[in-house]
Amino acid sequence: MLRELLSRIQGSFRRRRLEQEFDDEVRSHLEMLKERFIARGMDPAEAFYAARRQFGGVTQVKQDFRERRSVPVFYVLLEDVRQAFSRLRKAKRFTAAAALTLALGIGAGAAVFAVLDTVVLRPLPYPEPGRLMAFRSVDQRGTPHHLSYPDFFDFRKHNRVFEHLVCYRDAAFTLTDSLPPIQVAGAIVSWDLFPMLGVQPALGRGFLPEEENPGTHTVLLSHRLWKSRFGGDPGILGRAVRINGVPFTVIGVGPPGFQFPAEAAAVELWVTLSEDATARDQRGARMLDAIGRLKPGVSARQAQSEMDQLAGALARQYPGNKNVARTLVLPELRRLAGSSLKPLLVLAGAVAMLLLIACVNTANLLLARNAERAREFALRTALGASRLAIVRQMLTEGLALGLLGAGGGVLLSFGALKAVLPLAGDSVPRLSDTSIDARVLAFSIALAVLTSVLFSFAPAVQAARADPAGALKEGARTIARGHDRFRSGLVVVQITLGLVLLVAAELLAAGFLHLVHRDLGFRAGELLTFDVGLAEPNVTRQIAFCDRMLEHLRAIPGVQAAATGTPLPLEGHQMRAAFDIEQRPAAAPDRPRCDTAIVTPGYFRAMGIPLLKGRDFSERDDAQAAPILVVNQAFARKYFPGEDVIGKRIRPGLGPTPAMREIVGVVGDAKQAALGADPDPIYYYPYKQLPWFLGTVVLRTVVPPLAVESAARAAVASLDRHVAIHGIRTGKERSAAAIAQMQFVTTLMGGFAIIALLLAGAGLYGVLSYAVARRRGEIGVRIALGAAHKEVLGLVFRQAMSLVAAGLVLGLAGAAAASRVLGTMIYGIRPGDPLILAGACCMLVITGIAAAYVPAARAASVDPMQALRSE
Amino acid sequence: MAIAKELCYPSPLGMTKDRSEVLQGTLDLMVLKTLDALGPLHGYGVARRIEQLSEETLRLNEGTVYASLLRLLQKGWIRSEWGASENNRRAKFYSITRAGRKHLARETESWERISGVIGRVLRLGSQH
Repeated sequence: MLRELLSRIQGSFRRRRLEQEFDDEVRSHLEMLKERFIARGMDPAEAFYAARRQFGGVTQVKQDFRERRSVPVFYVLLEDVRQAFSRLRKAKRFTAAAALTLALGIGAGAAVFAVLDTVVLRPLPYPEPGRLMAFRSVDQRGTPHHLSYPDFFDFRKHNRVFEHLVCYRDAAFTLTDSLPPIQVAGAIVSWDLFPMLGVQPALGRGFLPEEENPGTHTVLLSHRLWKSRFGGDPGILGRAVRINGVPFTVIGVGPPGFQFPAEAAAVELWVTLSEDATARDQRGARMLDAIGRLKPGVSARQAQSEMDQLAGALARQYPGNKNVARTLVLPELRRLAGSSLKPLLVLAGAVAMLLLIACVNTANLLLARNAERAREFALRTALGASRLAIVRQMLTEGLALGLLGAGGGVLLSFGALKAVLPLAGDSVPRLSDTSIDARVLAFSIALAVLTSVLFSFAPAVQAARADPAGALKEGARTIARGHDRFRSGLVVVQITLGLVLLVAAELLAAGFLHLVHRDLGFRAGELLTFDVGLAEPNVTRQIAFCDRMLEHLRAIPGVQAAATGTPLPLEGHQMRAAFDIEQRPAAAPDRPRCDTAIVTPGYFRAMGIPLLKGRDFSERDDAQAAPILVVNQAFARKYFPGEDVIGKRIRPGLGPTPAMREIVGVVGDAKQAALGADPDPIYYYPYKQLPWFLGTVVLRTVVPPLAVESAARAAVASLDRHVAIHGIRTGKERSAAAIAQMQFVTTLMGGFAIIALLLAGAGLYGVLSYAVARRRGEIGVRIALGAAHKEVLGLVFRQAMSLVAAGLVLGLAGAAAASRVLGTMIYGIRPGDPLILAGACCMLVITGIAAAYVPAARAASVDPMQALRSE
Repeated sequence: MAIAKELCYPSPLGMTKDRSEVLQGTLDLMVLKTLDALGPLHGYGVARRIEQLSEETLRLNEGTVYASLLRLLQKGWIRSEWGASENNRRAKFYSITRAGRKHLARETESWERISGVIGRVLRLGSQH
């Protein structure tokens, strides 16, 4: 059987030669037979026919041979597809319209699949990625939290479900081994990162457990950094490299392309948690992510229940530690996709609808073409073609169209991704890896096959049903009214789906515009921000550096104000701390808790956050001065409603000796979370009273912010050549990054809606044009009987509007449902806005009028004499 | 008996499955036996031999011989090569392979057994 199949497949490819050979064989057989008959006394002509009789039907034998020799399905399909393409070539306009329609649908599908595949489906680039789990602690309310070192150590020590449990956090490092210093992204990890991931260093070794001890400084370099900074020198192992001013021993180099954490931008080095020596016994300092590799055979659920038990024990041991009530063990891949999953699913749903619209449009085009081809089908049926053969022909034509569409679609998706991906910035992990690869191609072809079955089904059935006798009658109206109704129904479906997509796109656009125009609480224009890679453990020297640096920066022409602060607005809830209110002491678990930030004097002026009451910090508010705070309006409203907050005292639990601090000022609410609805309460520390680290520098300029960049670099370098500045961003860039994901989704959805609108218009146009062509005679009679130009126009427009209206009525329910779903999936969507619905309906009505215009004009210009003569 | 027309129309899906499968099998067996007995032959020669042996009881369209030869080729029971016929015409010569001989032996045995059984059964009926 296999052998036969192989020989058949081989036969399919050497068709022409084999056929030639067989012809020769048959011819010589016939010759020999003829000679034999001649030898028996027949005359040559008689012998020729006798030979043919004895041989049997030559053509049948050849046909039989042809079919037996190749794979029948393969052969038949190949032949059918070849024929289908040649028929499509003859109908250029139809083919172009249908292929373009499909290309739009399949292209959108391919683009969304490419993104979904890269961000959600593609496994992590480590061995057995299914066993990698993200690990978090969870408080009583179910909110996940980062871990602190003591918590992590306890979990690591007692767990029996993870082969390795590794903690990590991002950190920036300055390489000061040579000039100019460079700032690189790095990660602080526990020792077994490489064994946990199942990755071998390209050079050297991974960390050892004892290298977590404070005082040891070892580093693993990325392959990229090793090549670029150290020339790929294998002698790097064991050498000391100055990082943050401290010599680190290089113990290894990661494999090429190795990246961890997967979502971070270009991590260049890894050091152990020995660098976090000060935090290792602070149970409240929650700043760690964790990831573990499950032991073989352990499920995520088993791991979760085991870790929950450990958390319960920890909670009993440390009652104040209320963020470790339970745990969360979820596949690392899911964590990575995280918040981008829902928007992507929304896009996938939208693209499915778009594809359906494209299918309906193509079906409509095919039906119109069938009407023209009714005679061809009838003739074929009359000549004995089976229904099946006609259905097969239609399906292969559909497949050929689908493949054309897929080809065009892949090209379109290529361009679309190029245009759209940059909009998302780095708001979606791994998104930038998206490309049109073999998986996307395979998906596109699968889409082509699926859609071709979808859109050619109805036309195929209709063609097969054609009644040969009726169709062949001279001038007969071959396609019944029912067929028109079916096509009109398809247009209604298009308008219905189009309305749903339009409403979704409008909702997203409204949500996006709201985000763009919302009040951020600070002035993003004329703002330049950057980080300074100063590794200065000595607090006094750090404060002195900060003072001198800000002085230099303020001296730059064009700079109005300079300050530092951390975290900045829109950076999210990076620092949260609980506090006691002097008037209303509360038990430990119920202490209020909110965002906090550390800022220098002049920060509010530089950021453009208005001072509403009291005073700003001044240079005199240092460690010797009275402990004070500034709070924002939301803080005052939430914790001191109806009271004057100035002069009130609270005690936040930060710093070595938490003290009661007096609130001396109230500032405006700047958005802390990128996408939060309500303003978040926050209290600000004066930097000199909590000099943990040098904050992000913010410069308020009177010139375009990037114009002062080089002067700022020079100013910092003039203080210390070993200090690098990095992460330069304008305020506008920061506010744009916060809504990049929304912009990405909105742009794609808008594109889909526009395509849907165009396709719905095209579908309507097709049906109306056909109807006008078919009713030419009737319209001619009407005009001959005195119907006015306007009435004829009205005839067509009425038909158009009745279809649009039917579509809108059906679409309203779908649109309502879709907007509700959208509201739950994407932040900032406010479903139920009647204006949005009305807007979408208006757009469809306008599309309807535009689509009806040409057919209506054509109808009105029918010449009654001509129309009636051709009847 | 006439193997007039093979009742096989290629169904659009899958390999051909013929109603005259039994007859086909018989023809294949005869062709195979012919090649086994007479050595390499071209299609014309096979047709002559079968005609001669069946003594006009089996009239067949000689074209069907080629269908049979192709089937046997595809199964690997015979092979073919180009050569010159008696009167120097280019012709394709078919010869039996080892696998073909094995198959022939197997089929011959089963054919004899079955025809023996059928013969006995038929004789049984005629006694009453």
